[in-house]
Amino acid sequence: METINIILSGLGGQGILFMTKVLAQAALNKGFNVMGAETHGMAQRGGSVISHLRLGEAKSSLVRTGTAHFLLSLEENEGYRNLPFLSKGARMYVNTHSKHFPRKEAKGLLDKRNIIYRSFPAGIMAQKLGAPRSSNLALLGYFSAFDEGPIGYKDIKTTIDTISPKKFKDINLKVFEAGYRKGRDSG
Amino acid sequence: MIKQEILLGNGAIALGLVESGCQIVTSYPGTPSSEILPEVVRFVKSEKLDTYVEWSTNEKVALDTAFAAAITGKRAACCMKQVGLNVAADSLMSAAYIGTVGGLVIISCDDPGPHSSQTEQDTRFMARLAKVPVLDPSNPQEAREMVGLAMDISEEFRIPVILRPAIRVCHARQNISFGPIKKNNQKASFEKNPQRWAATPRFRLILHGELNRKLKEIGKKFENLSQYNFHNLESGKQYALGIIAGGIPYSVIRDFLSEEKRTDIPVLKIATPYPFPEILAIEFMSACQKVLVLEETDTLIEYLLRDRDRVMGRLSGHVPPEGELVPQVIHTLINNVLEELNLEPFKTSEDYEAMQLVKDLQLPVRRPTLCPGCPERAAFFAIRKTRPKAIFTSDIGCYTLGLNLGAVDTCLDMGAAITMASGFYHSFAQDSVEQPIVATIGDSTFFHSGAAGLLNAVYNGSRFILVILDNLTTAMTGMQPTPALGIRADGSEGKAIPLERIVAGCGVDFIEVVDPYDIKKTIRLLKKAIKYVKDPKGGMAVIIARHPCVIAYPTKAILHKKKVTITDDCIECKVCLDRFECPALFHDPELGRVNINRALCVDCGVCIQVCPKGAIVEA
Repeated sequence: METINIILSGLGGQGILFMTKVLAQAALNKGFNVMGAETHGMAQRGGSVISHLRLGEAKSSLVRTGTAHFLLSLEENEGYRNLPFLSKGARMYVNTHSKHFPRKEAKGLLDKRNIIYRSFPAGIMAQKLGAPRSSNLALLGYFSAFDEGPIGYKDIKTTIDTISPKKFKDINLKVFEAGYRKGRDSG
Repeated sequence: MIKQEILLGNGAIALGLVESGCQIVTSYPGTPSSEILPEVVRFVKSEKLDTYVEWSTNEKVALDTAFAAAITGKRAACCMKQVGLNVAADSLMSAAYIGTVGGLVIISCDDPGPHSSQTEQDTRFMARLAKVPVLDPSNPQEAREMVGLAMDISEEFRIPVILRPAIRVCHARQNISFGPIKKNNQKASFEKNPQRWAATPRFRLILHGELNRKLKEIGKKFENLSQYNFHNLESGKQYALGIIAGGIPYSVIRDFLSEEKRTDIPVLKIATPYPFPEILAIEFMSACQKVLVLEETDTLIEYLLRDRDRVMGRLSGHVPPEGELVPQVIHTLINNVLEELNLEPFKTSEDYEAMQLVKDLQLPVRRPTLCPGCPERAAFFAIRKTRPKAIFTSDIGCYTLGLNLGAVDTCLDMGAAITMASGFYHSFAQDSVEQPIVATIGDSTFFHSGAAGLLNAVYNGSRFILVILDNLTTAMTGMQPTPALGIRADGSEGKAIPLERIVAGCGVDFIEVVDPYDIKKTIRLLKKAIKYVKDPKGGMAVIIARHPCVIAYPTKAILHKKKVTITDDCIECKVCLDRFECPALFHDPELGRVNINRALCVDCGVCIQVCPKGAIVEA
């Protein structure tokens, strides 16, 4: 089977590592071999952060440009920055409150490549739910609503339930659920 | 029972350590090595082992400690980042000659890129310099296995062995299966033998001879280490191009060749670049007209191949001489090589259109910044405000980011804030110039290598202000405890050693402690320190700016939350953005003033003291 490549991007502090961990664990539970690469160190202090996740028989942890099937971005510009990773027909999910997403300069290329793009204000949703730092979970919920990936709503929800620290479990699930519902409503 | 877990490469290495029966593990944190020791602690607890672990005060301390353990016959390991091995180099060079009794594995993690280091130096060359074997894993699972292999080789040949995982091994994640772990009951014993353990130069020559013989034997072993050093030549077949690869570039090229379904390019994997399996390499090269060498980060394998005319790599200009060999880079360089040799290019090509689009979008460069609420930001603001003309020497840690605030001018190596400040002082003093100098160093960095420099500064009459940014943790590398906290690597209690006592012990008479959140008081103390430094009867002045890190101590760091708001008094002077640079503050052109990003603001309220117009107020 072809390796499934996922790129997760955003800014340091937005919770990319946790998002990666959730998807990786959910994929393992489904029987995938998992290989991924993360950003640690100085960039975690607010710089551009990217995680690579590869499900299948990959040897290298890094996704090559032009081969990613999914891009989840917690920040709009970081989403654009990683466009070269996307393959034809890929899907991208972006946290933004901009009504003009995607920017018109990018739209042409996205359409030409049959890239399906979706966006929603995950950050604002998380903030409204009293968890301003949980836009990552809102975006995961939103992503899961479309059931376009190898791992679906139930897989991700179960994983969040298992690996969230006790203190954050309830709020994590609440934000995830809200993101999911938003996706269902808009899908 | 076999269980499966997704481990970070560093977790896989930690697993390898406990599986190998390693009884002593020492480390100093540094990206990309920092997670190894905490993961060892996790396995030690879950498997109920009695492995001794410690955060050592620096890498040399860590290696000396592990070395002593290894000459008692125990299995020991010591983990660090590549530049940490520079600090431990004194220990390493000598330990190679002396040799061990039990196994000693040094894990030195490289950072091609560099992502979070001062240099892109290649640990494999340090291994060659010290004359110790080095293993170069290409993924987490292999790194885990190689820890055991390294331990076995070390014990068999009584020599330290280096494992060199690159950042893409350390910070890769992979699912790893493992079973129960056996406890190693090897007891410590020390057989006196001064000719070895305290060898004088005459005996060192003998030891050097012994070391050379060990390496020859290990070299033979590596020629036949077919699990890790192997090629896929078909016998009798000749190839136009072959690839010799090690570490991460090996994983990348394997994926490429299988995706491209290329069987016309054989690959020789070298997992033991030193001692180099030369016979294997000659066998491979004899079947290939040209070979391309893909290795990180420098040119060790390339140097060791003799028939240079047929070798393509960094020396021939086919591989970029700096930077990480990420898939895109390898893809481009291979296609260039294929074209040069008139071979069929890869079917996939780089997506130049998308890359051009990203360029055209002119996306803002997101440089790392200090966190909202970071106490170092407040300290830097006060320092720069009090002493705008000073030379600001600084050091390694989150606070290097003080350069965004114009409060960091230099960053050389661990501890150099103090030693460079001394150098600056004496250089200007020689010309009778009174140059203000303010040095900043973090608490953990001070424990690592600050004291020797401070002693030197006091002893040799340097005059400058040293601000120790004490956030009660090793923040940059993931919140490891420092000796001041009295918490050890496994969470147990240790003796707390206050910074003040060390500073006083270094001979400093001016020591003040301040909470940098109180900018006014910090400025007052800085002014007092300036006077003291200038006073003929004065000397070195040390201010300890102490406030808990907002990430390590989310509740303790901000005891009194102050929700701030910005009034119409804001004249858009941007002092708060340029000199304070809190990520939660941004210029809002629609409002014609600075605004607050509530998702980022942590209500520390420090910015209230920063606005020259008093436009930032408590709501």
